[in-house]
Amino acid sequence: MKKRGRGIACMWYPIGFTVAANPSAATVKINEDGTATLLTGTVETGQGALTVLGQIAAEALGIAADDVHVVSGDTDVTPMDTGAIASRTTYVTGNAVKLAAEKARAILFEVAAPMLGVRPEQLEARDRKIQVQSFPQRHLAIGDVALQAQSVKGQPAIGSASWNPPTVPMDPDTGQGKPFNTYVYATQIAEVDVDDETGEVDVLRIIAAHDCGTPINPMLVEGQVEGGISMGLGFALQEEILFDAEGRQINPNLTNYIMPTSMDMPEIEVVFVDNYDPTGPFGAKGVGEPTSVPTAAAILNAIHDAVGVRITSLPATAEKILAAIKSRGTDGLKNIKA
Amino acid sequence: MNSKSIVDEKLHAAVADSTTGLPLLVRSEMLPAVFPVDLLVPDARQQTPAVGQRVIRTDARQHGLGQTPYIDDMVIPGMLYARIKRAGVASARILGIDTREAEAMPGVMAVITGRDIPVNSFGPSLQDQPVLATERVFHAGDGVAAVAAVSEQIAAEALAKIRVEYERLPAVFDPLEALKDDAPKVHPPAGNIYARKVICRGSVEQGFADSKHVFEQQYRTQMVEHVPIEPHAAIALWDANGRVTVYSSLGRITLGRADLARTLRMPINRIRLVGTFVGGNFGGKNEITQEPVLALLARKTGRPVKGVYTRTEEFTASTTRHPFIMDYKTGVDSNGRILARKVRLVLDGGAYCSWSETTLGKAAILSTGPYKIEHVHVEAMAVYTNKTMTGAMRGFGAPQVCFAYESQMDEIASTLDIDPLEIRMRNAFVNGSISPTGQVLHSVVVRESLLNAARRMNWPEVDS
Repeated sequence: MKKRGRGIACMWYPIGFTVAANPSAATVKINEDGTATLLTGTVETGQGALTVLGQIAAEALGIAADDVHVVSGDTDVTPMDTGAIASRTTYVTGNAVKLAAEKARAILFEVAAPMLGVRPEQLEARDRKIQVQSFPQRHLAIGDVALQAQSVKGQPAIGSASWNPPTVPMDPDTGQGKPFNTYVYATQIAEVDVDDETGEVDVLRIIAAHDCGTPINPMLVEGQVEGGISMGLGFALQEEILFDAEGRQINPNLTNYIMPTSMDMPEIEVVFVDNYDPTGPFGAKGVGEPTSVPTAAAILNAIHDAVGVRITSLPATAEKILAAIKSRGTDGLKNIKA
Repeated sequence: MNSKSIVDEKLHAAVADSTTGLPLLVRSEMLPAVFPVDLLVPDARQQTPAVGQRVIRTDARQHGLGQTPYIDDMVIPGMLYARIKRAGVASARILGIDTREAEAMPGVMAVITGRDIPVNSFGPSLQDQPVLATERVFHAGDGVAAVAAVSEQIAAEALAKIRVEYERLPAVFDPLEALKDDAPKVHPPAGNIYARKVICRGSVEQGFADSKHVFEQQYRTQMVEHVPIEPHAAIALWDANGRVTVYSSLGRITLGRADLARTLRMPINRIRLVGTFVGGNFGGKNEITQEPVLALLARKTGRPVKGVYTRTEEFTASTTRHPFIMDYKTGVDSNGRILARKVRLVLDGGAYCSWSETTLGKAAILSTGPYKIEHVHVEAMAVYTNKTMTGAMRGFGAPQVCFAYESQMDEIASTLDIDPLEIRMRNAFVNGSISPTGQVLHSVVVRESLLNAARRMNWPEVDS
């Protein structure tokens, strides 16, 4: 008979490298029509990072996201970047992009100020205009300012910058230190059906409440969460590399290494936990890795809620669950004195 | 929509690479499915702010039209195909590698071994991994020789003609066995523990003495693969000035270029590394794999050389997620407040360090959970075994420890008859909480995430 259960798991996760420097550099070039090109050394690995970085540059320049063309991933062309790792792109590369865009923007402000009869620090960039703060009716089109900067003043609006999260090394004996500049937090709750005659688990629904600071692009955050959950689900229930007695893998193929397909995916509801981190670009932190962190824990707690057995070794295969149901206990791991 | 035109299936488009000027061919199926290409351009966003908008990703159209150029879609005139011979034994001394028969095969243009690699080691923290094994094999997925041939089929057939003579050596596959004094050493003379991390705050002995209940449990996790749809892939080619260009599925080109410079013993400015669209990474494409091999085969043959891992190689010859053995001991008061937590983590570190130090560090720091605990003691170690190397994978050890600390949290809750949501609310970090490493935390929203999720799930105890 199918038994329903729900399980909860929360987590914390850091953004960026553990203590070690992990800088990003970026260059923003404002073209003479007010559109812009962003050069970044990171690589698009499917998560949508380039789109997010373009949005950050656009926000800083007061132009639209598709006014920014992003050039990435070529060591002959783009500045250094620590790359797509450690959930760091939005936060670390994003901060570098924002600083680079602000440097380019400062050149526009300097050129526009005398044209508008104010000081540069009185200006802001919004809606493709350079305008006077609190007096937006005095403004110039950003393209006119960029053209003036480049072709009349001889000062093309190009900005380069780098950023690295500040950390404090950990004491080797006690681990005391500040290994990361910021962390994100999340909770996932899983609802499952467990068949107590076969041990089979059906994950029906997962609520995923994630903090990523400001979601720069909510659609891409949702994509990350859904992808992360699929990895967490495989980790919880199915995936396992097996070895023979000689240390050779026995299932290195997609026939015998079982991972979730679209048919295994539960209904997923993504909830954004309202937050703003002043150390991130426009309040953003990151979201890539944390999405797959609490999934297995939530599913395993839901299995316990459903059929009363606690599986302490992953994956919680049907065989393992059924054996535990039959012996009405855990899956046989002994307590070891810590 | 405007007119469509079907492109001649046999047509290849020659595209000059902007930097090298070299022709880059793409297969006909990658050509635009619809002409003119300005069809279906997303609406321009007329207004700022750009942040917070559900902007359509810049690569969406290319993906949707099947135009995204992944490495395996790229063809360069004269290009050869490389394959790597895998050891198939987990621990052995290499007595000899005979490549003569393979080299004599029609269509085989070059064969190399580890002895052809100028600096045959790499790794992000410890350089303990050979590009191709020369004297010793450390796990069954080690490469021992590589072939470049005019077709993938000939390259694969040539691998079978390469004869390697091994002397079997003792091996260890279980990390707890590997910890024992008399265990075979994976990288002699070094011991099998290659990284260690300790975090302590307060006094766990005092905390346990003050606790009303103490819970102890061991948790274990398994080895898993990233399984990206696109396997590790790269193309290497040289120009007349002795510069090498490598197109690669790497997610970290700055580091990859430095690793290439080191292994090829070349100045960095003679190396161009282009990161193409990556068809899934998840931590598995954070360091070089076959790139130096392809560069050397390309130099030896004077022709571009492409290498694409098979699915089997993706499992056996790239990094995986660390299996963890986790001992948790937790003391709580009668209200379920955690007073002390002691954690011991043993990471099955596989044959090479790769990103184990990072995984170990993050796992240790995060292992006590997002909870206010006065007394903590964490000891974590990464251990060599003669198994597939373990490295970076989405979460760097966090999914493993989260499974342990959240399972134990529910155990504590059910023993003390406290609702799972409530026990977490009582213990969760808040703004200003001190982490196990002594860091004052900001922008903390554990409780908010718990309540948000619980409300959405209609968790009965929420708001009660």
